[in-house]
Amino acid sequence: MELKLDRTKPPVTGKPRDLLFPEYYEQVFSNGVKLYVINDSRLPLVTTRIIFKTGSSEDEFESENKSGLASIVSELITKGTNSLKATEIAEKIDYHGAVLSSGCDYDATYITSSSLKKYFPFIFSLTFDLIRESVFSEEELQREKNQVINSLLSCYDEGEFLAERLFKKIVYKNSPYANNIEGIVSSVNNIKRDDILNFYKSFYAPANMVIALVGDITPVEAEKLVISKLTGWDSQAIKNRPVPKTRFEQKTKSYIYDRKGAVQSNIRLGHLGIERKNPDFVKISVMNTLLGGYFTSRINKNLREVNGFTYGARSYFSWKKFQGDFSVETDVKNSLTAKAVKEIIYEIKKIRDEFVTEDELFSVKNYLSGNFPLQLETPNAIATKVLNLELYELDKNFYNTYITAINSVTKEDIKNCAEKYLHPENLAIAIVSNLSETKKEMEEIGEVEVAEKIDE
Amino acid sequence: MSVNKKIPVLTVNSTFHIGSKDEDENKTGLAHLFEHLMFEGSENVEKGNFDEILNSNGGDSNAYTSWDITSYHISIPSNKLELALWLDSGRIAGFRIDNESLEIQKKVVMEEKLQVHDNTPYGSVEAESSKRLFKNSGYKSPIIGNMEHLEKVDLIDINNFFNMYYVPCNMVLSVVGDIKFDETEKMIKKYYENIPPGKYIERKLYDESEILSEICETVFDDINLPGKFYFYRIPKSGTREYYISHLISAMLTEGDSSRLYRELVYDKQLLNEVDSAIYGMEDVSLFNINSIAMEGADINEIENRIDDELNNIKEGKFTEDEIFKVKNRIITKYIMKLQTNNNLADKFSEIRTFYPDCSKINNEINEYDDITKSEITDFASEFLDKKKRVVLNYLPRE
Repeated sequence: MELKLDRTKPPVTGKPRDLLFPEYYEQVFSNGVKLYVINDSRLPLVTTRIIFKTGSSEDEFESENKSGLASIVSELITKGTNSLKATEIAEKIDYHGAVLSSGCDYDATYITSSSLKKYFPFIFSLTFDLIRESVFSEEELQREKNQVINSLLSCYDEGEFLAERLFKKIVYKNSPYANNIEGIVSSVNNIKRDDILNFYKSFYAPANMVIALVGDITPVEAEKLVISKLTGWDSQAIKNRPVPKTRFEQKTKSYIYDRKGAVQSNIRLGHLGIERKNPDFVKISVMNTLLGGYFTSRINKNLREVNGFTYGARSYFSWKKFQGDFSVETDVKNSLTAKAVKEIIYEIKKIRDEFVTEDELFSVKNYLSGNFPLQLETPNAIATKVLNLELYELDKNFYNTYITAINSVTKEDIKNCAEKYLHPENLAIAIVSNLSETKKEMEEIGEVEVAEKIDE
Repeated sequence: MSVNKKIPVLTVNSTFHIGSKDEDENKTGLAHLFEHLMFEGSENVEKGNFDEILNSNGGDSNAYTSWDITSYHISIPSNKLELALWLDSGRIAGFRIDNESLEIQKKVVMEEKLQVHDNTPYGSVEAESSKRLFKNSGYKSPIIGNMEHLEKVDLIDINNFFNMYYVPCNMVLSVVGDIKFDETEKMIKKYYENIPPGKYIERKLYDESEILSEICETVFDDINLPGKFYFYRIPKSGTREYYISHLISAMLTEGDSSRLYRELVYDKQLLNEVDSAIYGMEDVSLFNINSIAMEGADINEIENRIDDELNNIKEGKFTEDEIFKVKNRIITKYIMKLQTNNNLADKFSEIRTFYPDCSKINNEINEYDDITKSEITDFASEFLDKKKRVVLNYLPRE
């Protein structure tokens, strides 16, 4: 049969299928532990994601110069209990084909394990034992410190890492959000076993803990497993303190760090942004996506597709629990640095001073709502979303109303948000590059300070 | 096609059997540059509009180029299946590129090379190893290519390349997600069936003589910590040996109880990082061990310890339990990876590019099941031979 085909126009497509956030079961135990269960039995796998609602922003909860503390505590969780040595723990996890990882960000500590369903009760039980019975031996602490310090040495080889550090230190100033989650060499050296034990006792507690079990497991099975591991673990008060807000109000200024041998500039520019709970969150997301959040955004189109300056450029509102930042990130040849920065500033001003077009807005809304289901594709991704509701104290309906909220944003909203949250006259421009090739041209944009050192 | 109705999205993956190893040795980087050009529009989609149309319909796209294939995927809400097929088939049925787009994408690729390779610590490992591992085949050049070659690429090169490789007989299309078979099949026929099939592609025969004595090279880089990188040639993707190599790689570096991690990172604290990888390719594969030293560690001792562990495997100094452990680990990871439409579609395309049917997707995981201890020791003795390897020592520049 001959098929008639008209390729000149895009085909008309049908209606989208509705999407609701997957159902989940929720329970709070008497000692304060919260449990979420999300059943997804497509594959014979179960994942546990556990959080403690404390992260590196509490590194200095007792004394100064301890950045990296929360991170080291989370790493040491897998390195020995009363009855198991680190090597025995590793052997047990690997033998069962399981994956177990732990770490932290600024606001929370994460312990995640996944395994085939048939090994899950064992892996879950082991994960819980690690959390409740870790011993933090002096030997393991020294070993971990040594590894972290060497990893940091490697990080300081990377232009992107340096630019990120420089930017954060300038905009967040003395806030814990300015610190590196893994710490810096001097602070890691300064961490003692007592710091570890005190942090662990203060924050690895039932009332600070949320568990999400996702995958081939029913709520009944999950509840039974959790109860069996809670015996004798009593509630205790948690003192999580809010991170104080800092201010950043200077005129646009560049900070250049001279990196020997750099053939590209790593550019991070921006200012302070919003905390996760900000009521304008969705509007800001739409605005930022249009400005620099996706491939066809204004900034990427300008820098990559029109000018060929870069492999890619993106803007971010990176939000944390109590404060956040706005940043535009790109890497360009040293000689193109000032040109690229000027184009970025032009785009930030433009979205603040002019209405966006209906076409652009339509496109962004469709992109964000069409892409949302992909964020619910794996059990692990769903678990993260559920835990975020808890961690950032969001409205329980947030995900089910998200697409509606996206679609009700207007061009007036975008302009209002841009006026309120973007400050192109007050940017911190952090650049890591070959100074001699970039300084002079950057002076056309504003004051330039040479950053002698990034961290001690 | 594969159905997964959990979320209302789907992936369209089109994969072309053309990678960097098929390039003319004086025109390296063409396959990867071409990947960028496929997004530049077509007869019915104006320049720059491919991604605009896709994004404004809630879709997203990406692509990658390897030594053997170039693969494109679109993920999009399932009601837009036909739009995705229209976009994807349109660039094959009516490929169009102008000089301005070509010149801009050349610049973008050059910045990509600076970002990914030249300005990144240890970023030259691929180029430094390839040219020592291979002398005749296309595997000797890095995928991103030589920038001097790239500068000279013109529209004639591009159109020749397109006409030769971007044809249905050199392509696999996989659609995975919230779809109905009959409806999807009809749509695929509508958009792809009348594209001329193209001609059979004559490929260069793989012709590399064996490496007979260890090639060891020092490279100076802007780094704080020395790195040691090992490469061994092993049999091509999909062979029995290829699956055996995964078990050995896992024995060496998978998990904190693995041999190299336990011995060199944990116990001796000689290394800050260690991992290994199998690069499965069409004509040959690579067994690769990467290690980053701790500051001040004795580099010779690192080498000796790594060799000791390889010798232990050659001599059979491991238990059935260890084999059971690495099999478990590989199976869990394999299953976890296939959770997303994108990864599953990619797997379908990869398998169908190199095999006559897709059955391997259901039984590949069983390939590991009956591998025996003696097969592991035999493999290690034959292929992980010190004399046949390339070693790169990365040292801090003075």
